[in-house]
Amino acid sequence: MATSVQRWWHKLVWPWSPLSEREASEAIVRNLWLHWFPAKVSGRSMSWSYSLWLGTVAASLFVILTVTGVMLMFFYVPSTERAYGSIKDLQYAVSFGRILRNQHRWAAEGMVALVFIHMARVFFTGAYRGARVLNWLVGVALLLLTLMLSFTGYLLPWDQLAYWAITVGTNIASEAPVLGPTFKYLLLGGHFVGQQTLLRFYVLHVFFLPAVVWILFAYHMWRVRKDGGLAAIEPLRAMRRAEPKEMPRSKSYSLFGLTPGTSVAVMSSMGLEERDQVASSPNLTRRMILVFLVVFNITLLLSLLVNAPLEGPANPSVTPNPAKAPWYFVWLQELVASTTVHLGKVTISGGLVGGILVPGVLLAALILWPFFDRSTVSAEGVWFARERTRQNVVFAVITVAIIILIIVGMYLRGPYWRLYWPWSPRPVLPRVL
Amino acid sequence: METDRRTILRWLGKGSVFAAFIAQIGAAARAFFPNVLYEPPSTFKLERPEDYPQGYSFNSEHRLFVVRAANKFHVISAICTHLGCTVQWRGTEFDCPCHGSRFDANGNVIAGPAPRPLPWFEVSLSPDGLLEVDSAETVPQGSAFTTPTEKA
Ligand code: HEM
Ligand code: FES
Repeated sequence: MATSVQRWWHKLVWPWSPLSEREASEAIVRNLWLHWFPAKVSGRSMSWSYSLWLGTVAASLFVILTVTGVMLMFFYVPSTERAYGSIKDLQYAVSFGRILRNQHRWAAEGMVALVFIHMARVFFTGAYRGARVLNWLVGVALLLLTLMLSFTGYLLPWDQLAYWAITVGTNIASEAPVLGPTFKYLLLGGHFVGQQTLLRFYVLHVFFLPAVVWILFAYHMWRVRKDGGLAAIEPLRAMRRAEPKEMPRSKSYSLFGLTPGTSVAVMSSMGLEERDQVASSPNLTRRMILVFLVVFNITLLLSLLVNAPLEGPANPSVTPNPAKAPWYFVWLQELVASTTVHLGKVTISGGLVGGILVPGVLLAALILWPFFDRSTVSAEGVWFARERTRQNVVFAVITVAIIILIIVGMYLRGPYWRLYWPWSPRPVLPRVL
Repeated sequence: METDRRTILRWLGKGSVFAAFIAQIGAAARAFFPNVLYEPPSTFKLERPEDYPQGYSFNSEHRLFVVRAANKFHVISAICTHLGCTVQWRGTEFDCPCHGSRFDANGNVIAGPAPRPLPWFEVSLSPDGLLEVDSAETVPQGSAFTTPTEKA
């Protein structure tokens, strides 16, 4: 019985069973799931201490988000009248609905953090150089998409946070020169926040943005393979290359590789030798499953212990006091609050400076950075290479500045966005309207 | 000559199919800019003038303040000129809960990121004796609508 089920399963996904080492590699390539992986992987690419497996943690979170998200779709109603109630139902009336929602929320916040930390890892290991520039750019797009997914996501409950975040967010968009107001009209589906707005953000959140992330993620992983594995192998590769030997040359394969200069024959052996590598399955796959399970369990544990926030229902006439963005956007809130500049008679709103120009400059820096990095190959794929110290310090300083702004916004801002020490009492305000 | 005409026709054929494709995309994009909006009109009626107490009254439906001094009325927008949160009247000034803008009693910016003063809207008396506001018409600060004395 078991064997016939097994036979059928194999027929469906794996029409091949290995008899030799070589066939085992082949078998990986021919398996529906395993063909995602290269047949062989170097110990360095796979090590815990190099990549900290942060990308895989982010990917695990995204898998969790996709599954819990689709489940939430069975309960959530994207209507301004019923959205809030449907979230309340999940919270109080649907069996385990609260855990479902919590897990979606904590995985989402975790993903924002982890995608950023993964990027920091890539930066500090100088892993974006050479052919990997392309993957760095794909990564920047994934970071933006992750932020957009979060933004569109926390609007959906249609609570006070949602309503005022859309209001402020779309007003920042309308500060953009020339096309700003048109863009705001497009986002809102009108001049005011309403049903059209909710529906637009809903479709972006549940279909459009995740679809783009999935496609780019697949490309991101394909690039990692085409680039020969993680940058950690570069020092070893350079060493092997220096050893005198016959390199296979094959012009006909160069069509496949987007990477200039090396043929696929070289890429597939990663310029490494047999002894530098192990079979992806089970070595890589086992770690991957382990990472996924640990991530899943952490988000589940969090979901059992802490509830996702939900403010009062959206009220267009009263703004919460203070109205705070979620932690990963609160640094932007600090920026828009403090960057209005007066030049003589001309006033440039903080919405434009802190909401568009500063983030735009940061984004441009991320995109352009690899092209100005003049460090040598020896600084590639190693943590905190001495040669890159200056660059790493710049990255760290910007990161710390953002973290400081987040702390100020989260803990030191009280009513009317005034500064208070965390321990000083905040005034209890009568509801003056 | 023969081939030339063919080439031209072929390009015309391919070109028109391609152009139709692009036009289709344009049309699809255009659909996202609504032609009909189900939005409230910019002109609306409030209460009767005599229903307002002296001083500042917040109207939550339209997000504005009706200010009364004796029988003079003016209306100040409660929508922060920075990024659109609702400001609150605190006895002597308007404060915004989102990024801390502060406006004086006339709506001029005292502090914070707001780039412009809070606008004043045109007020009039509708034939049925209610205050009527046109939020599409801003008026200079200091403009006021004076009710006939017997009304107030
Ligand atoms: C949705 C978000 C993302 C996911 C799921 C993801 C996933 C991954 C995974 C699984 C790896 C393999 C190595 C590792 O686990 O660290 C990787 C490598 C890489 N990622 Fe990402 N990533 C994301 C966003 C980013 C961002 C924001 C950047 C940078 C802007 C980036 C740049 C790179 C680069 C350059 C590599 C190759 C690193 C090396 O060779 O050492 N990724 N990514
Ligand atoms: S919206 Fe009022 S200060 Fe920013």
